[in-house]
Amino acid sequence: MSISDATTAVSDELAARDDMIVCTGVDKWYGDFQALKGVTATIKEQEVVVVLGPSGSGKSTWIRCVNRLEQHQGGTIVVDGVELTNDVRNIEKIRSEVGMVFQQFNLFPHLTVLDNITLAPKWVKKQPKDVAEENARKLLDRVGIPEQADKYPGQLSGGQQQRVAIARSLAMEPRVMLFDEPTSALDPEMIKEVLDVMKELAQQGMTMVVVTHEMGFAREVADRIIFMEAGEIVEVGTPEHFFTNPTEDRTKLFLSQIL
Amino acid sequence: MAAVENFVVNTDEGLLPQADALPPELPSLPPGEWMKKNLFSSPFSTILTFVFGAMALAAINVLVDFIFSDERNWTAPATNLRLLMTQAYPADQYIRVWVSVGLVAVLTGLSTGLWNAGDALSMKRISMWFMTGGSFVALVALLAPFDSGRRTTWLILAAVVVGIGLAIWFGLGERRRSIFVRSIYVVFGVLGAIIGSLWVVKYGNYALADGELVADPDALVAPTTRIPWTILLAILVGTYFIGRGLAGKVAALLKAIVMGAWLLAPFIIVWVILRDPDLDWDHVISTDIPMALAFGFGGGLILYALTKPGLGEIGKIVAGVLLAVAAFNWVAAFFGWYPMLQKARLSFLFLAIFALAAANFAGDRRTRLQLVWGWLGFMAVVHYMATMANTASTLEIQGDFFLGGLSLTLFIAVLTLMLSFPLGVLLALGRTSRMPIFRVLSTVYIETIRGVPLITILFFFSVIIPIFLPSGMGLSETAAIVIGYTLFSAAYLAENVRGGLQAVRRGQFEAADALGLTGSQRTGFIVLPQALRVSIPPLVGQAIATYKETSLVSIVGGFDLTRIADKVISAQTDFLGVKMENLLIISFIYWVGAFSMSKYSQKLERRLGVGER
Ligand SMILES: Nc1ncnc2c1ncn2[C@@H]1O[C@H](COP(=O)(O)OP(=O)(O)O)[C@@H](O)[C@H]1O
Ligand SMILES: [Mg+2]
Repeated sequence: MSISDATTAVSDELAARDDMIVCTGVDKWYGDFQALKGVTATIKEQEVVVVLGPSGSGKSTWIRCVNRLEQHQGGTIVVDGVELTNDVRNIEKIRSEVGMVFQQFNLFPHLTVLDNITLAPKWVKKQPKDVAEENARKLLDRVGIPEQADKYPGQLSGGQQQRVAIARSLAMEPRVMLFDEPTSALDPEMIKEVLDVMKELAQQGMTMVVVTHEMGFAREVADRIIFMEAGEIVEVGTPEHFFTNPTEDRTKLFLSQIL
Repeated sequence: MAAVENFVVNTDEGLLPQADALPPELPSLPPGEWMKKNLFSSPFSTILTFVFGAMALAAINVLVDFIFSDERNWTAPATNLRLLMTQAYPADQYIRVWVSVGLVAVLTGLSTGLWNAGDALSMKRISMWFMTGGSFVALVALLAPFDSGRRTTWLILAAVVVGIGLAIWFGLGERRRSIFVRSIYVVFGVLGAIIGSLWVVKYGNYALADGELVADPDALVAPTTRIPWTILLAILVGTYFIGRGLAGKVAALLKAIVMGAWLLAPFIIVWVILRDPDLDWDHVISTDIPMALAFGFGGGLILYALTKPGLGEIGKIVAGVLLAVAAFNWVAAFFGWYPMLQKARLSFLFLAIFALAAANFAGDRRTRLQLVWGWLGFMAVVHYMATMANTASTLEIQGDFFLGGLSLTLFIAVLTLMLSFPLGVLLALGRTSRMPIFRVLSTVYIETIRGVPLITILFFFSVIIPIFLPSGMGLSETAAIVIGYTLFSAAYLAENVRGGLQAVRRGQFEAADALGLTGSQRTGFIVLPQALRVSIPPLVGQAIATYKETSLVSIVGGFDLTRIADKVISAQTDFLGVKMENLLIISFIYWVGAFSMSKYSQKLERRLGVGER
């Protein structure tokens, strides 16, 4: 159906790259409610994919399946050549390659910003303390808040917290970053500072899957947009295709409501 | 004035790190308006004020009548203070008790200095304390059944105290609100006044010398009391300033050392200082030291091998085998299959636990050696302690245990809390675990223990368990009590911790998972710290209850504070039947401990609240 049509719109250059995330017919049930219905999608290396869709359409569920915060029950998910199964080693490997940024930041409130960032590198990657701290300070510099290293999350603004959360994920040197509505819990004046960090990350070639309602970001940064509804991928295409010339009625309806 | 200046808080010293200077305390309402606002704001509150004021007065009156009545025999607790503190600890060895208290004083002083404990108190507040305290003394003087001479003395004392308060208030004027003093100096001042007064005020000297009552109401307290307390205060103040001086320099390392010393202190005090083990040097050289070295270095090698990066399953298998061997040693001990020193069994068990944790230390040489050093230090402590505890004491003591009175109460309370805390945390984790076997076992354990009265458990452990022990395995009364009490207390602590665990938000688990932390890292670094912080109020409540309920020990035969006050003193020929005085005194002693814990927990909550909104 139309999915294949839309995929053809993707440039040949992109198609030639290696696969980063390959989902094939992913199913997920909560009790007897099916949240994902045969989700099939491929995300290429260094690609930025924005996932759009109404609330409750399964966007979060899908990207949370990718790093196994949720367990899918049908189909396959392959990340960087490793299939997600119940094998703990595969899960560990994938989690160390996939970073995730949450809507509610989920910083560790009892640790300083620096400790938030260095904890996982020290204990998962076994980095020596001084190396981890040096990296953390560089990352804080990169997200624009080098002076906040010794504060606690509760002493920061929402935008600063989310930037710390991004730095915390980056400290694990992931190959893919998943963002689940990273700006939805922020006051309007702080949204830009977080989006700017994400744009820069995209320009540096990070593979990113971003669930967001920020249409400007989608238009400007995305290589491709995936539109989901009711647990299905309805339409996939470049921002240009998606915003000017969507093929599916459901996509048109969604866009008419949101734009 | 210069002296006052000296004591004024200098914010450069970091009392309040974020404040450049302390803002002056807000002025309070004039007394008339204050009363109107807080006591007589409405007809109803006026009635309440009078009703409760009358009740409070009546209560104070009863208490004062009781305390100062001619029928009271305060000579009984005064004579028996040592008995209340340490029961029959040999008088010629009493220096050991003082050294123990001294060790605690050193640690307290260092800690308060290093952590810069205490707040800033304005002179205004201090002045108000003087005035309130003085007024209270006046109230007591008026209510107590005193003759006129005594009443006058007390009233003069009250007038002096209120006068000091007024002098500060009006002498400083508005500056009373902006001059601050470290609260710790106030504490030192109060302690200094009390201990200093031992040298001038004739509190009376009472003692039982060879069963003969020596009572001299017109004397200073005995020098054997005066001198040690004076030295202790000097140690406390001195170490405080040493701690303050060191605070900026090597603080992180020093703090870690002091914390470790606090953990070890109870064991060193009880088994090494107070008990004075009579070391058998031949045995020490032939067995104890070689054994410690063997476990230390042998275990160190194994652990170093186990931290090799990328060991994978093999590491887990080796750790599992070690755990099985350790467990088997205990089973064998129970059935008496082969002899083995208890500390060897303990060392095997600890080695297995360290081995299980080894995978977390896989990495470069430095990280791997951290575990090995930790192990060596740990083994040194365990073997030293075990050797000391296993050697007979040189003390000549009557009875089952060399501690009694307050020292036994504290020993049981501290040891029980130290042991039951980790056990309680494990039980809480078990009860919230995803593995059914742990969940069921913990739940059954907790619910069973919580359904049984403490006194029953204490009887069970002190009387029944020893009967069923295999021959050759003894369990002293005190050990039995501590074990039973630990098992009891752990069940309650577990429920408190579980409450905290449930308060940790799901996002915290997810963030930890998404970062690739393992389950135990997630629990240890993310979930438990947050859960424990939330559980501080109930945990401290439980700690206070544990401390006070050690008094039940007196029923199963322990000579704790309560037993001595209730039964021992009232059986002395000089004080036959004198009970209420002793009970009032020990109530005060219990209260001081409980109140300090409660105050400390409030501090802790505020301090850990940093960054939590
Ligand atoms: N833990 C859960 N238990 C039951 N139902 C859930 C759970 N999480 C999500 N769902 C349901 O799955 C559907 C998809 O949810 P979600 O992926 O969060 O949507 P989106 O992120 O697109 O708003 C929703 O209908 C939601 O109610
Ligand atoms: Mg969502």
